[in-house]
Amino acid sequence: MKQFRRMTYPYIVWALILIVAPMLLIVLYAFTTKGNDVVTTKFTLENFVKFFSDPLFLKVLLRSLKVAAITTVACLLLGYFPAYYIARSSEKFKMRWVLIITFPTWINLLVRTYAWTGILQDDGIINTMLGWIGLGPYEMMYTEFAVIVGMIYNFLPFMVLQIYTSLTKMDGSLLEAANDLGANKFQSFLRVTLPLSLPGIISGITLVFLPAVSSFCIPNMLGGGQYMLVGNMIEQYFQSAGDWNFGSAISLIMAIIIIFSMYLTKKVDVTERGEADA
Amino acid sequence: MKKVIVTLAILALAVVAMTGCGKKKERMKLFLPGEYLGENVIKDFEKEFDCEVIVENFESNEAMYTKLQAGDKYDVLIPSDYTIERLLKENYLQKLDKSVITNIGNLADEVKNLSFDPNNDYSIPYFWGTVGIVYNKDNVDYADLEAEGFGIFKDPKYAGRIFMYNSARDGFMIALKQLGYSCNTDNEAEIQEAYEWLLDMNKTTKPIYIIDEVIDNMKAGRKDLAIAYSGDAADILSENESMGYFMPSCGTNVWYDSMVIPANAENPTLANKFINFMLNYDQCLDGSETVGYASPNKDVLAKLTGEGGDYADNEAYLPVIRDNDEIFHDNEVIRKKMNELWLKVSGSN
Repeated sequence: MKQFRRMTYPYIVWALILIVAPMLLIVLYAFTTKGNDVVTTKFTLENFVKFFSDPLFLKVLLRSLKVAAITTVACLLLGYFPAYYIARSSEKFKMRWVLIITFPTWINLLVRTYAWTGILQDDGIINTMLGWIGLGPYEMMYTEFAVIVGMIYNFLPFMVLQIYTSLTKMDGSLLEAANDLGANKFQSFLRVTLPLSLPGIISGITLVFLPAVSSFCIPNMLGGGQYMLVGNMIEQYFQSAGDWNFGSAISLIMAIIIIFSMYLTKKVDVTERGEADA
Repeated sequence: MKKVIVTLAILALAVVAMTGCGKKKERMKLFLPGEYLGENVIKDFEKEFDCEVIVENFESNEAMYTKLQAGDKYDVLIPSDYTIERLLKENYLQKLDKSVITNIGNLADEVKNLSFDPNNDYSIPYFWGTVGIVYNKDNVDYADLEAEGFGIFKDPKYAGRIFMYNSARDGFMIALKQLGYSCNTDNEAEIQEAYEWLLDMNKTTKPIYIIDEVIDNMKAGRKDLAIAYSGDAADILSENESMGYFMPSCGTNVWYDSMVIPANAENPTLANKFINFMLNYDQCLDGSETVGYASPNKDVLAKLTGEGGDYADNEAYLPVIRDNDEIFHDNEVIRKKMNELWLKVSGSN
């Protein structure tokens, strides 16, 4: 095993240079004032005061959290039952279904999202079909609805695969035992299957919520510039406004929120599992 | 599995070996905005001068400047007027070799000796144009356009039917011009007034803020009004007959994208030849026909706007420069301020 440990060194060096160092730079930028170099660094809390004193930034932050939450719940509701079904089907079908679920992820995210513009346009596929039965056209492109649809579509496979993996690990004899003890199907699902799939649900939630809350290319393409999420705001501050310090401060606030929400889900995970074991 | 890996490895080796063959050709690197080249110009140049052209695209002048600043080497750049001004000030450019660029006489008078490079010592125009309003002639009252100018973007009558160009520079230009100020103002009060104008516009007409998507969307006629660059407008007009192009009487921004050679170019000889080549009638015609932006070549302009030309009836193609139209000048402090305010305009929903 020793030689394996040595093989992690390249990764550690990699992580130090490309993950830890940039993170530290973001922290440094967030707490310093504009336009000074390392020699004359001036520390300040100005960037954070600015963030919390302007209602615009809080509004954008809340909007991002809301959109990410809606996406996560929708992915969970839409994804759980397919995952359950796939885990229950025969080996042969399992592989086919997993292939179908992962198929969209073979295509680049930008291309997939761009395809939605053709579907949601005023003269797109949906509105054309609605037109045949005398409905619409409904304005869907460049709205919150379009952004949420795009996010659910892009992140759903992550949820399905996580839940599917945890369900396949479940011992089938547990369900037989529940049945022997007089539980009906609904009861055994609620008290056996669901608790045992919790780890999958939680890692699914993490894998959907995190990219959703920080996404910037989906809202950009489907929502237009007037539908701004935190990711877009950070991008704008770095790229066009050229204020790296404030951009870093927003990134840091986002990072703290993400770490906190991961801590919360971990905690739920541990307590729930503790109860299931008892 | 092993077999597959071995096969792949052999293939990879073969590819490497093959690219190693052949004698080394002269190379030059071209750095320009995306979708800015005629269909065959690069191929033709490579054939005529037996060389290889490496083409790289940039998304904005600012992104290009950042790369140049980081020490990246290119032989020919095609930035906009205000960036050329900045590059000249910071000694990033070298003088052109006019003994090579003999085609300089092909330039139209309107694009010669511009304020940012009075003798064309450093730059040769590539495309030029204006910023204006693309509108649907069936749904927008021309009288409203004439009476209101850029103010039509805050006319409640057109609420929900507008695409706004999502760029601080163009957004503030519209507001400042409409208010009767210079788009290069550094007066705080004027900028504040323009900011309030834009906030009011955002609230009243709820425009959609997009950038390049404006071309496809207006071709499909999905909204009735949009801000567009004249070259994009020419493209839209030639595909959708209901669309028109309007330049408000309050004046607008006129711009020139020009070819320049950076001081650290590795192959300035070929770069000068390239610039000269791009002024040829055939190359100018190819570029302008493909992309839709106005050519700097006077014969090409005459041909394309003359009877039977591609843009004969296209009111957006040929830039009409009036006294109150302005070239943009870069001011870092103002740029940052406008960008931050612009975020608050588009984010205020």
